[in-house]
Amino acid sequence: MFRTQLASTRVLSRRLCATRAAQSSYSTCARSLVRNPGRTVPSPLFRFNDGLWVARRGYADASPTKFSRAKPHLNIGTIGHVDHGKTTLTAAITKVLAERGGAKFTDYAEIDKAPEEKARGITINSSHVEYESENRHYGHIDCPGHADYIKNMITGAAQMDGAIIVVSATDGQMPQTREHLLLARQVGVKKLVVFINKIDQIQDKEMLELVDMEMRDLLATYNFDGENTPIIMGSALAALEGRSPEIGADRIAELVAACDAWLEIPPRDLEKPFLLPVEDVFSISGRGTVATGRVERGVCLKGDEVEVIGLGDSFKTTLTGIEMFHKELDRGEAGDNMGVLLRGVKREQVRRGQVIVAPGSIKAVKKFQAQIYVLTKDEGGRYTPFMDNYRPQLFLRTADVTCALHWPENTADASEKMVMPGDNVEMVCDLVHDVAAEIGTRFTLREGGKTVGTGIITKILTHA
Amino acid sequence: MFSARFVHGLLSFSRAYSVSAPKKGLKELVAEVRALADVSPTQAGQALKASDMDVAKALVWLEKHRAESAVKKAAKVEGRMANEGLIGTAVLSAGAAGSRQGAVRAAMIELNCETDFVARNDLFAKLLNDISFTAAFLSESAGSEAFMQPFSLDVLQGAPLLAQSNPTSESKLTVSEAMRDLTGRVGEKISLRRALTVVHELPPTQRDLALRVSARVHQSVQNPQQGRIGSLALLALKSPRLSEILASEAFAGDLDKLCQALGRQIIGFPTTSVKAVPGTQDEGALYDQPFAMFAGPGNDQPVRTFLRNWAKERGLLEGDERVVSGVEVLEFAKWTVGESI
Repeated sequence: MFRTQLASTRVLSRRLCATRAAQSSYSTCARSLVRNPGRTVPSPLFRFNDGLWVARRGYADASPTKFSRAKPHLNIGTIGHVDHGKTTLTAAITKVLAERGGAKFTDYAEIDKAPEEKARGITINSSHVEYESENRHYGHIDCPGHADYIKNMITGAAQMDGAIIVVSATDGQMPQTREHLLLARQVGVKKLVVFINKIDQIQDKEMLELVDMEMRDLLATYNFDGENTPIIMGSALAALEGRSPEIGADRIAELVAACDAWLEIPPRDLEKPFLLPVEDVFSISGRGTVATGRVERGVCLKGDEVEVIGLGDSFKTTLTGIEMFHKELDRGEAGDNMGVLLRGVKREQVRRGQVIVAPGSIKAVKKFQAQIYVLTKDEGGRYTPFMDNYRPQLFLRTADVTCALHWPENTADASEKMVMPGDNVEMVCDLVHDVAAEIGTRFTLREGGKTVGTGIITKILTHA
Repeated sequence: MFSARFVHGLLSFSRAYSVSAPKKGLKELVAEVRALADVSPTQAGQALKASDMDVAKALVWLEKHRAESAVKKAAKVEGRMANEGLIGTAVLSAGAAGSRQGAVRAAMIELNCETDFVARNDLFAKLLNDISFTAAFLSESAGSEAFMQPFSLDVLQGAPLLAQSNPTSESKLTVSEAMRDLTGRVGEKISLRRALTVVHELPPTQRDLALRVSARVHQSVQNPQQGRIGSLALLALKSPRLSEILASEAFAGDLDKLCQALGRQIIGFPTTSVKAVPGTQDEGALYDQPFAMFAGPGNDQPVRTFLRNWAKERGLLEGDERVVSGVEVLEFAKWTVGESI
């Protein structure tokens, strides 16, 4: 009984914590299916649409348009005022790149009418378009509002790695541009590109310089690199209508080139330091203690020094053996389901919930601040609100610990505030046992056998 | 803060230029105008050109044409949907407090815009705050059965906007003009969806009765009087020893706590009415819900029982059961942003 429960949580947390690569392939495949249902999808399979994504991925692979992993992937979002041409820009990018063979042209109507995605039981309100530049593959996210972007960040449904801020040359920055930049900060975007749109409506070149100058100033105010951020000026509409390429298509190409050059690709799992969450521990007579699990990131070699971290116990040891499918290996890497033999370690010393990592790459934490999305009743979450000092179970990788949720320090009226299902909140999680974690680690909150929330760590407060 | 930085940047900029070019270029002048008035570069340029490149004159010109351009913008966004925004509350007089029974005067307003980016902006929050204040200030006692009265949107929109920070200052704008002005600045449709007020004064002869109004919002951005869900609740307190009890400081604290918890209960649970129709079961009836949102002992009891015990413990409710006394929730209103009405 216990085992099946754990198994199901693992599937769930993996779904929520799935690696970026897996997500992107999933979302692009899913989207291309939605876009061309007649061509690629045998109709009886449609009912899978709100079911398990595993099933969807399975048959998407068989479709004629296969997602190629040859180019590194990046998720990019457009943020801007409703009238400044976000959708036009998105359509223009796909058009310009389609002419160069890097995208399928997606017209306004299609972007705006993109159906709400329903994945993992969590409704995601965003439109998803994809395109390729010379050396990258982009997933393009466009959400209607602040709350949607935050929710997507927390659930990892559409994590933005970079953003294009769209500003119209006629209006310049507006009062809410401030909110746009704050949002980019909040969802963890470190670098962005600015597109100043509608320059065909401005005759005076000095005006454009002014908008440029003001944007740089504003960027600097919100701790972005105002001086070096690429600001591209053009007319998305001209590009879309195929006229005056010097301010249309060429500028769009310039924008994509700027994204290529300026926005950084998050490190791939294989390039990160080794981390293996312990799922199970055995003792094999004559050999020693073996811990098993699926490598989350990095590469390990036989004979490597490693550190076991979490649940009150941290110590160093050596990997004396790596085994997969009952065969000995010299090397294991991200994605492998494997067992590792640990030198001189007793079985009691290693437990599910700990992690085996490259020494010094991650620390155990006891208390952190996180952005949490509380699931609604329809998403399988709680029916009623909760208040300060709510104590659910926190599932992080394979660890399962009780935690207490508090309002961040200096919150006015903390004892009077409540959290309702459906809310996005920033709260402090105080763990009963320490767990290896860092900024950006995702977790889920469960209570009485149901998932009540999901979150992402934004600030570490206390190390163990 | 931004504008301060901006002006600073501007100053150093113009200083660098003043050596070689005594006459400022259009760019600097526009920047100067934009630092002083909230207009687009195009408008600023237009204003400067119309007023011989003089910043002071341009500002006057802009002031004159601000309404005109706002009207144009408002006409452009007229047909759009505005379903984001905030609920704002204003309690000018909460009623029962200290030794006074007091009068109650409060309002709740829903102001809409198109995206929650604008709803999070200070300009929007300030306008909503002022409109809530205006509604609460202008409303008159209805004198009918229901205490909570919808406030006519036409009347409200035509009323002069009173600034909450400085209510005595004569505002030049009406509420609808101020809304249009905001549309001109943020480029989104701004509309009022609904307004509600509670105004009541008890005759001084009713010394054993007091009213209390309490506002509570959920998911506020910065202003704690505004949020995505808002509620107003009206409580009545009745006891022969009322003035004596109200005078106690401990009681005032307890009453505050109770009001907050009731507000949370109304917002957090699917509450639709105060009491169920006798003989029926209703999940939405406040009095039949367990009072889970009260942080403290007794929160497993239904609200009805809880209130009776609460009143008894504080001496509001006395032995004689024939006399109606204690504490009671008379009415409440609960709004969520963008819900259909």
